[in-house]
Amino acid sequence: MSEMDAYLGVFVDEAREHLQNLNDSLLAIEENPDDKEALNEMFRSLHTLKGMAGTMDFERLTKLCHKMENFLDILRKGEILVTSEIVDKLFLSVDMIGKLIDNISETADEGDVNVDEMVSTIEQMMEEREVVEEAEEVKEEKEEIEETEEVLTTLEEEIVHVIKEAGKQGYKPYHLVVRLQPETMLKSARMYMVFKKLEDIGAEILKTIPDVQSIEEEKFDLEVEFFLIAKRDKSDIRKIINTISEIDKIIIEDIKLGEGEAKVKEEKREKVETGSKRRTRLTRTVRVDIEKLDTLMNLMGELVIARSRIVETLKKYQIKDVDESLAQLSRATLDLQNVVMKIRMIPVSFVFNRFPRMVRDLSRELGKKVNLIIRGQETELDRTVVDEIGDPLVHLIRNAIDHGIETPNERIMKGKPPEGTVELTARQEGNSVIIEVVDDGRGLDRMAIQRAAIEKGLLDESAAATMSDEEIYQYIFVSGFSTKKNASEVSGRGVGMDVVKNVIESLNGRVYIQSQPDKGTRVSIVLPLTLAIIQVLLVRVAGNVYAFPIVNIDSAIRASATEIKKVQDRDVIVVRGEIVPITFLRRVFGFNGVEETSDSLNVVIVRTRDQKRGFVVDELLGQEDIVIKSLGKLLSNIPYFGGGAILGDGSIALIMDIAGIPG
Amino acid sequence: MAKRVLIVDDAAFMRMLLRDIITKAGYEVAGEAANGVEAVEKYRELKPDVVTMDITMPEMDGIQAIKKIREIDPEAKIIVCSAMGQQSMVIEAIQAGAKDFIVKPFQHSRVVEALAKVTRE
Repeated sequence: MSEMDAYLGVFVDEAREHLQNLNDSLLAIEENPDDKEALNEMFRSLHTLKGMAGTMDFERLTKLCHKMENFLDILRKGEILVTSEIVDKLFLSVDMIGKLIDNISETADEGDVNVDEMVSTIEQMMEEREVVEEAEEVKEEKEEIEETEEVLTTLEEEIVHVIKEAGKQGYKPYHLVVRLQPETMLKSARMYMVFKKLEDIGAEILKTIPDVQSIEEEKFDLEVEFFLIAKRDKSDIRKIINTISEIDKIIIEDIKLGEGEAKVKEEKREKVETGSKRRTRLTRTVRVDIEKLDTLMNLMGELVIARSRIVETLKKYQIKDVDESLAQLSRATLDLQNVVMKIRMIPVSFVFNRFPRMVRDLSRELGKKVNLIIRGQETELDRTVVDEIGDPLVHLIRNAIDHGIETPNERIMKGKPPEGTVELTARQEGNSVIIEVVDDGRGLDRMAIQRAAIEKGLLDESAAATMSDEEIYQYIFVSGFSTKKNASEVSGRGVGMDVVKNVIESLNGRVYIQSQPDKGTRVSIVLPLTLAIIQVLLVRVAGNVYAFPIVNIDSAIRASATEIKKVQDRDVIVVRGEIVPITFLRRVFGFNGVEETSDSLNVVIVRTRDQKRGFVVDELLGQEDIVIKSLGKLLSNIPYFGGGAILGDGSIALIMDIAGIPG
Repeated sequence: MAKRVLIVDDAAFMRMLLRDIITKAGYEVAGEAANGVEAVEKYRELKPDVVTMDITMPEMDGIQAIKKIREIDPEAKIIVCSAMGQQSMVIEAIQAGAKDFIVKPFQHSRVVEALAKVTRE
């Protein structure tokens, strides 16, 4: 068992991939029941999954996959037409596979899932075909041998049949493997000679791996497997094949029907699987435990810090000799850092993938029509971030469908198309990734939210009147804001919205809401590309060092106090014709200072989401790579800072959280 | 007695090369032909044990020559010499009755192996 345990992780990972694949294919099939490629894809996934489960001794999973595989085979051959009822049943069985995998993942056991009922449901659906099948069976037997790969994998039963029939006429079944010498040229022609020799002695080739077409197209490595029947015995066949040159190895064995046959069957099936996989997956990958990546990242961080400290130290002693090697070290660390960062990045499709299925189920359940549009799923994010955003996105999409999108009737009454649209998009902007959930539903009800906030004592009426819509919407993120009583009043949004906000903020991200009545709602999540190392501009304010993330910085300028003007009681400065509000950090942090009257003020201009802001600091210190460290729970509610970092000289800098600083 | 080989190739250089390989491997070169027509004549005249046959040749190509020779002698043992990428031609030649093929640029060992296998048959 312990030996198997070692494979369990890999098994679960791969099984999940297949589960995803099953869901995707099934959605495609639902969309277009004639989608042969999707039917084949689903069949292949089930087949592989069955093999995997069998190896791991997961009996029920094996049984379920096996039945489904058989059923899919019938469907893809068009022997039973795909109906919505069938699709529904298949969704249920795919879910059951999911449940089994979940259980296996958690307890290394299949748990209490009972597959028998599902298996017999599938059997019942299969029975529809039985009658037709028997009549056509004989006709089909021999004709399909040269069909394409997809069909070939399922010819087993028919082959067995042929073998049995031929046995009566004195034919013996053989499994022949012919391997060419390495560097053989014109391999197809070489294999053609094998075919010819076999045919010359009256052998009949039932099947080859790869299939004939692939052999003709030279789509094989060195080996071809033949399943054939012949009257000659093994040594004769070996001798005959041996007269062909450039043949490295010949293996020929009897095919024994029953157990032995099954064994050969499994073997060769596996080869087909791996073969086709190799073709589809062009990149070669290694699975790495995420913990190892975390460790690597941490070590990387330490390395960056150590490098900075060395640079600092050397600067102090002005040792010129090491300049070159130091520059090299810096480059190498930078490259290494980039590589490590990239290793940790995975596309958001990892979470996005599950939504088509969820949206389908949910819209059916609620009797709504929803078209889910997914864009930018190739956008990459740090692995930890991707892992975390799943639940918040589930909440957001659920809310969009449950409370945003109206029923078809309601939509028609409003003059909207009956089918609602939910868009899920991801894109990268600078060092951030923006994920948006946009619906064209009824939008948020500002008044209802405002009322609820006032009722709850979160807000007083006069303040509410001056607040922008967006500010009011923020209340739905307040924990416990939406109680059962007023859930309906505020269209239910708020269910889990505080969770959404908490998760996103724990990832150094932010959530924004825009909404227009009857037009829809847009929830934007802005996430940092990576959580680990960032480039910052270090500044000094009243003797302390602070860090501005470089990505946020537009420019750093010098200005005289006279350039600062008052507009509507706010300090502003004109930068390249643009009015930029400015903030004196000394004031914000509660230090007194003379800088306000100085002739040369240092102003750091940063871009926030939709505008520029300037921050007056005492001194600009330079750029540095820093490893972001969390400030910990105790300091987490200080609004100005997003984290801390240890600098090259061992001192500490606080990282500015620009949006958190009052204007 | 050493087996006798007829070398058919329109390029004198290739014939020379083959002659060298073939004699070193202990065979006797019965004769040479520079095109298909010549090949058929020489076959009739020399009755060699094996023929190495180039495919692309003037006058009559290798495949036609194979067919003609097989008409004269259904047991004729012919090895096709092909350039890379002539897969379908090779298959055609085999259908026409060639026993084996070798691919240019020739590797000694492969030529020798083909000769050995064809003559042993």
